[in-house]
Amino acid sequence: MTPLIQLSGITKTLTGQDEARTILAGVDLTLRSGESVAVLGRSGSGKSTLLSLIGLFDRPDGGQYLLGDKDITRLPERRAAALRSAEFGFVFQRFFLLKHLTAVQNVSMALVNGQGWLSRRKRRATAMAALDLLGIAHLAKHKPPRLSGGEQQRVAIARALVREPRILLADEPTGALDTETGKLVVEALRATTDRGCGLILVTHDRDHAASMSRVLHLTDGVLNPAGVPA
Amino acid sequence: MRLSGRLRSSLIIGGQGIRARKMRTFLSMISLFLGVLAVVTVQAGSVIAQRALLSDIEMTNGKDGTLQVYLPSHEDATAVALDTVRGRSDAVAVARAQAIIGEPEVRPVNEGGGPIEDGDAYAVGGYVECDASGVCREVGGSDPNQPQGEAVELSLQALSGDIRRFRPYRQESGEWLSFSSAPSMGPRIVINTKAAEAFALHRVPAEMRIKGAVANMTPQIIGVVDDGGWGPNAYVRTDELLNWLPPGSLGDPNFGGVELMVDPAATDVEQILRSRLSAAGANVDEMHVQPINTLEEMADQLSLMRWIFLGMAALVLLIGVAGILNVGLATVGERVEEFALRRAVGTPRLLLAGIVLAETLLTGLLTAALAIGAGVLGLEAASMLFAAEEPFLADVAFPWQAGVAGVIAGLVAGVLGGLIPAIRAARIPIATVMRA
Repeated sequence: MTPLIQLSGITKTLTGQDEARTILAGVDLTLRSGESVAVLGRSGSGKSTLLSLIGLFDRPDGGQYLLGDKDITRLPERRAAALRSAEFGFVFQRFFLLKHLTAVQNVSMALVNGQGWLSRRKRRATAMAALDLLGIAHLAKHKPPRLSGGEQQRVAIARALVREPRILLADEPTGALDTETGKLVVEALRATTDRGCGLILVTHDRDHAASMSRVLHLTDGVLNPAGVPA
Repeated sequence: MRLSGRLRSSLIIGGQGIRARKMRTFLSMISLFLGVLAVVTVQAGSVIAQRALLSDIEMTNGKDGTLQVYLPSHEDATAVALDTVRGRSDAVAVARAQAIIGEPEVRPVNEGGGPIEDGDAYAVGGYVECDASGVCREVGGSDPNQPQGEAVELSLQALSGDIRRFRPYRQESGEWLSFSSAPSMGPRIVINTKAAEAFALHRVPAEMRIKGAVANMTPQIIGVVDDGGWGPNAYVRTDELLNWLPPGSLGDPNFGGVELMVDPAATDVEQILRSRLSAAGANVDEMHVQPINTLEEMADQLSLMRWIFLGMAALVLLIGVAGILNVGLATVGERVEEFALRRAVGTPRLLLAGIVLAETLLTGLLTAALAIGAGVLGLEAASMLFAAEEPFLADVAFPWQAGVAGVIAGLVAGVLGGLIPAIRAARIPIATVMRA
C-alpha cells in the first residue's frame, strides 16, 4: 500500500541573526494510513520545524517529500493551501480558537477557507458531526472563554477533523493541559487512526508517545526509532 | 463557483470580524462618516444649487435648447410674427410694451419701470433714441410736467401662447393666463412678485396706460408669478391687448421688441418667418436666432466652486481613510494568530487580503449608508426649517448623484484604508502558529 507521506533526506537550515543553523539534517519518515507516530525530542531539536514542513507551512532546503505518489517538495503556495485544506488537519499546543466565535463556528471556520463552498446548513451539520465525534456536541454554542482547556482542545481537534483529513499533525497538543485531560485528548487523537487517518504527534510526554504505534526521536536533525542512540 | 465561494467566504468572515470588534469598527467609522458626509453634502449642495440657479435662470432666459428669435425692425414684423405662431403651442411670440397702472395723468413712482424695493422706488427714466445723423435724445418716460402720483410703471409682455413651456414661472397666487377662452375686453394680466410688492405699497385705481393705445384700459389682475425679474412686470394675452392697441404699437424695439420662443423641434417656424418677413419687405439678415445654452454657461461658473468644495471634502475623506487605515493596521496586528491559523487550515493569501478588504469595504459602505441617511434627513430638516426664506428648498428632493457620490466615497475609502492592512494580513507567516 502506498504510504500517506514519505520524507527522504529532508534538510532545513534556519538563518538567524548570527549564523545559519541546520535544524534538520536528512530526515526520513514514512507514515501510513491508520498509523500514529510520536516524535520526541528536546526543545529546539526541530520537532515543530519538521511538523511545519510536513504540513506545508514551509519548504525544505533539500530532500524529497511525497504525498502518496506525488512529489510535493516544491509546491507553490496556492496549491499548498489547497492541500493543507484537503489532506491535513492541525492541532496546536495553544488551541487558537477565535474568542468571538462559538465552538461550532470555530469548527466551521475550517470549512470557510475559500476551498470549495458549503451552504450554511451543510457547514453547521458537518461541524456538529465533528463536535459529536469528540463528544462535545452539547458545547456547540459555547464560546471559548466558557470552555475548559480540555474542551477547547477538543474543539480544536474537531476543527482539525472537520474536513476529514488523511493526515493529522499535532504539535504538543497536551502542553497546556493537566495530565488527566492530556490523556483524554491524546486518546481522542489516537482514535482518529481507527478511521484510517495518519497521525504525527510531537510531544515531550513519553507516556503519550507510548500510546502511539511508533515512537521516533529527533536528535541532531535526524529521526531515529526510540531507544536507538543517534 | 470558486470565485463566488471565495467572495462569500470573505464577506462572511469580514462580517464576523466587524461584529467581533464593534467598538473599533465604530471608531473607524466616525472620521469616515464625516468624510463621506462632506462628499455627500458637497455633491447634494452642488446639484441643488445648480437646480436652483438653473430654475431662476430658466425663468429669465428660458429653458435649455429653446430657440430665441429676434425679429428685424419693420412695421409689419409684429403682425407677421403673431400670424406665424397663431394656434401653435411650440412657439410663442412675446411683444413688449411699457405700461403704467395707477392714477391717471400722473408720473409713476418708478419712472422707466425701475424696481420698487423696501418702499424705495427706483426711476430709470426714459430711453435714449438716436436718429440717422447720430443725434441722440431721451424720449419716452412720463411728461415732466405731470405731477408725481400713485402709479407704477411696468414692463408689459404680450403673449401669443403659454410661455411657461419655455420659461417656467412659479405661480405665487391666483392663476395664470388662459389661452383657451375667448379674449376679454378688459385685459386680464398676471403680474410678477415685484409688481405685486409695488401695488401693495401703492394701492391705486387700476387704470392702465400704454403708449399708442386708443384708450386707457382697466386691467384685471388674476395672478402673481415669480418670474425672476428685477423690476415690475406684467403678462397679458396678445389678443386681449390688441383690442386696444394696433399691432404696430406692440413690440417697441426700445423695450425689447418682439421675441419668439421656439421649440427646437419646430424647425419650420424660422423658415416661415423668414419667408413672410422677406415678403413684407423686412431685412431678414437682421433676424437673429440663437439657442439658449444656459447649462453650458453655468457649468463654467459652477465647476470651479464645485471642485474647490470637492477638494475640501476629499481632504476630510482622507482623514477618514487614515482612520480606517490606522484601525485596520492595529486590528491586523492583533489578529496575527487568527490569520496564521486561517492560512494553516488552507485559506489562500488572496482570501486573507480579501477578508480584510471586505471588512473595510463593508465598514465603508455602512458608513456611506449612514452618511447618506444623515444627508437625506438634513435636507428634509433644512427644507422644513428654511423653505419660507429660501423657496428653492421647498419640495427639494435628495439628489441621487449625492447618494452615488457617497457610496463611491465609502467604497474608495474602504479600499484605500484597507489595502495596506490587507497586504500585511496576506504576508503573515503561517509558522506563527507553530512558534506561539
